[in-house]
Amino acid sequence: MRPKVTISKKFEFSASHRYWRDDWTEEKNNAAFGLCVSPYGHGHNYDLHVTVSGHIHPQTGMIINLSKLKEIVNEIVDQFDHKYLNLDTPWFKEVIPTTENIAVVLFDLIDEKLKPLSDIFLKHIRLYERSDLYADVWKD
Amino acid sequence: MRRISLTRVFSFSAAHRLNSDALSHEENKQIFDKCNNYYGHGHDYSVEVTVQGTPDSETGMLIPLPQLDTAVTEFLTTLEHKHLDLEAPYFKDKISTGENIVRYLWNELDKRLPAGKLFHIRLWETNNNYFDIGKDA
Repeated sequence: MRPKVTISKKFEFSASHRYWRDDWTEEKNNAAFGLCVSPYGHGHNYDLHVTVSGHIHPQTGMIINLSKLKEIVNEIVDQFDHKYLNLDTPWFKEVIPTTENIAVVLFDLIDEKLKPLSDIFLKHIRLYERSDLYADVWKD
Repeated sequence: MRRISLTRVFSFSAAHRLNSDALSHEENKQIFDKCNNYYGHGHDYSVEVTVQGTPDSETGMLIPLPQLDTAVTEFLTTLEHKHLDLEAPYFKDKISTGENIVRYLWNELDKRLPAGKLFHIRLWETNNNYFDIGKDA
């Protein structure tokens, strides 16, 4: 049996966001979201670690060509980079762009793009919002 | 199944000494080496606290961040700038190894966080060694 191997690649994007619910009072928003309610948004430099899993191809010695992975993920990351996530992207109209929710959206988008490729699947992503806060999404 | 976790990184600085009363002076020196230094030594500990679950449909969070920060910080304050062996009662009869500290952190934080949320803790003692405990360890 050929063992499975994972490979991880790091990506970066910078974006702004705001945590706010129109159906809540200002007091309730402040209590739940603290500084993140700031009216015009605030930003972070996000670090995204993408881990894919597959078998080593006998001819290339790779599980996926890294340039191919870079191209696929960058197509997605470009839609987040230098954007105000609440207003400039379609994914956070109904849900708050928390670290958790951004990570889930990224996981589903990357997973969908990798599906057509054979013998490779998205195993795990880690999204750092700052060096002291990150979300993980994975499949088991 | 798709799973989601959130990790927040905290820190505290403390002194300790690895020494067992059950062992002779020579045995302690041999087993614990530099960490047996008589007057103790210290570290800047870094603690990665991971919670798991489903993001709340209204807040988009696994746990309100202020609640996580308050619960963890309140507890870590009891260790901040302390000598673990002399000032934290838990270590009166336990050696303050990274393994025992991370187990202590798990027991205390699990009590302070909503039931079932705590998933993993990684305790960095220095940049070169860390200790893990959790439901996935």
